[in-house]
Amino acid sequence: MIKKEYIRSVLNIFASSPFKPLVMHANKGGDCVRKLNESLLAFCDGDMEKVEALNHEIDVIEHEADVIKQTIRSELSSSIMLPVHVIDLLNFLKPQDSISDDAQEVSFWLTVRKFEAPDDIRDGFRELMAKTLETVELYEDLVSTLGELLETSFSKRDVEDTLHLVVKVEEMEHQVDVIEKDLTKMIFRNEDTIGALGVYHLARLVRSIGDIADKSEHAADRLRTMILRR
Amino acid sequence: MSLFDPLVLLLVAAGLYMAWNIGANDLANAMGTSVGSGALSIKQVIIIAGICEFAGAVFFGKRVTSTIAKGIVPVDSISAIDPHLVAVGMLAAILAAGFWITLATFYNLPVSTTHSIVGAVLGFGLMAAYKGIIGFEEISWSVLGKIVGSWLVSPLLGALLAYIIFSFIRYFILQKADDPYSIEKKFVFLQTMTACYIAFAHGSNDVANAIGPLYAGLNALGMAGLNIPIWVMVLGGLGMVVGLATWGHRVIETIGTRITELTPTRGFSAEFATASVVVLHSYSSLPISTTHTLVGSVIGVGLAGGLAAVDLSVIGKIAVSWIVTVPVAALTSALIFAGLLGVGI
Repeated sequence: MIKKEYIRSVLNIFASSPFKPLVMHANKGGDCVRKLNESLLAFCDGDMEKVEALNHEIDVIEHEADVIKQTIRSELSSSIMLPVHVIDLLNFLKPQDSISDDAQEVSFWLTVRKFEAPDDIRDGFRELMAKTLETVELYEDLVSTLGELLETSFSKRDVEDTLHLVVKVEEMEHQVDVIEKDLTKMIFRNEDTIGALGVYHLARLVRSIGDIADKSEHAADRLRTMILRR
Repeated sequence: MSLFDPLVLLLVAAGLYMAWNIGANDLANAMGTSVGSGALSIKQVIIIAGICEFAGAVFFGKRVTSTIAKGIVPVDSISAIDPHLVAVGMLAAILAAGFWITLATFYNLPVSTTHSIVGAVLGFGLMAAYKGIIGFEEISWSVLGKIVGSWLVSPLLGALLAYIIFSFIRYFILQKADDPYSIEKKFVFLQTMTACYIAFAHGSNDVANAIGPLYAGLNALGMAGLNIPIWVMVLGGLGMVVGLATWGHRVIETIGTRITELTPTRGFSAEFATASVVVLHSYSSLPISTTHTLVGSVIGVGLAGGLAAVDLSVIGKIAVSWIVTVPVAALTSALIFAGLLGVGI
């Protein structure tokens, strides 16, 4: 039962801020990718039991991220006034949500087939995953600057700091792209040893891991729009 | 007439109930923002509010009290016919306003005590005119118009002032600082001062809602002269402080724990703007709603980009409560007045 408070109050004017849940939501995405990194290392070592266990963990975190996303959306009714445009905020939430979605997908694809490929490819996967994780973690740093931005109500210096981080995320995503292309080529060159099915599986994994970095870059770009169009 | 006449006792009791109600709710609302921003503890707020509210009521509350007592309804011409009528009418007004406020509080509606009492006093006047005691044209429609106009202007003024104050803080202090959180710490002291200021302002304006009708009644019965007796002002001030101490602390606590967005710089801007607008109206003898002005000021800070999220739907709720409160309070008061006369009080 809801406790009656018997007050006529100014409380109704204060809506719950979407910014703290936004940061939490970004961190859930980060958590998914950190788990995915563990899972990929286990996959490369052939520890399929661990891959399976981590896949369940990632499913749980991805669901938590979804719940936060839904809460943010449901609380942004048309009467809510934010220091940024609501549309921009929602446009930025969407790619951010895809980070955990894509991590979940990669995690699933890791479970379907064992890793059987030359060591060069194994190293390539480790490098690709490490760079992707780095991109996502930099993206988390970027989102966490929102708190300071609100505190100073978007001071020029803080806006510049944030925009600088956006550029760094974009640069890092480009590095992921380069690794992604090299690794894909390497996989196709080894078709004879890996087999057609192996090529399909590994190429698909490469593309999906790259997607995670893509979504981080995309979300960072939308975040910039949100801050600049205020 | 003695102080122990049942009619006088009823008037005093009803006035005290209104004062208690105002202290418990409206004052608590005004002070809750200081607790919410972490500037003061609840105990500190109650002590500061008690002292400043009392001072505001006793030393600066006379102008608005006169408006409520004599500005709207021509009590002197009613009193010339029968002083008793004024006392009964004002009792009806306090009872009607008190009843409506209690009901609104029960349903957590953002109803203003000021609007209720103005509506209720008007209801008494209308019933007096309906019964042919005075003419309809004797009711001071121009004063009433000014009062209603000030209800529109005061939240807008609060919003404008808060917008300007916060924009200043933002451009000249927050955006130049290396560490915005240290600025907030410095504003804690300033916010202690504005907490006092807002309590003073509230006391100066809202004490009239409780003791305006009481004074009018006492004046008609020959128990108070042209100047409002100090004991009446003290009664009003005391009633509000007791209301704050006995019930208001819960309201402050509820508001304080939920308003975490209002950091000291934001709280300072909203409170300073609200208090200034309210004091200005007290000086102009106009009764306004402190709570609605505060809502306006918070929106002003939000418009200046100071708040993470502001729910504007409250504006609609306030507008509705406005439109409903005056007629309902007026009708209830008129009916109670007619009823009291009917049973021969």
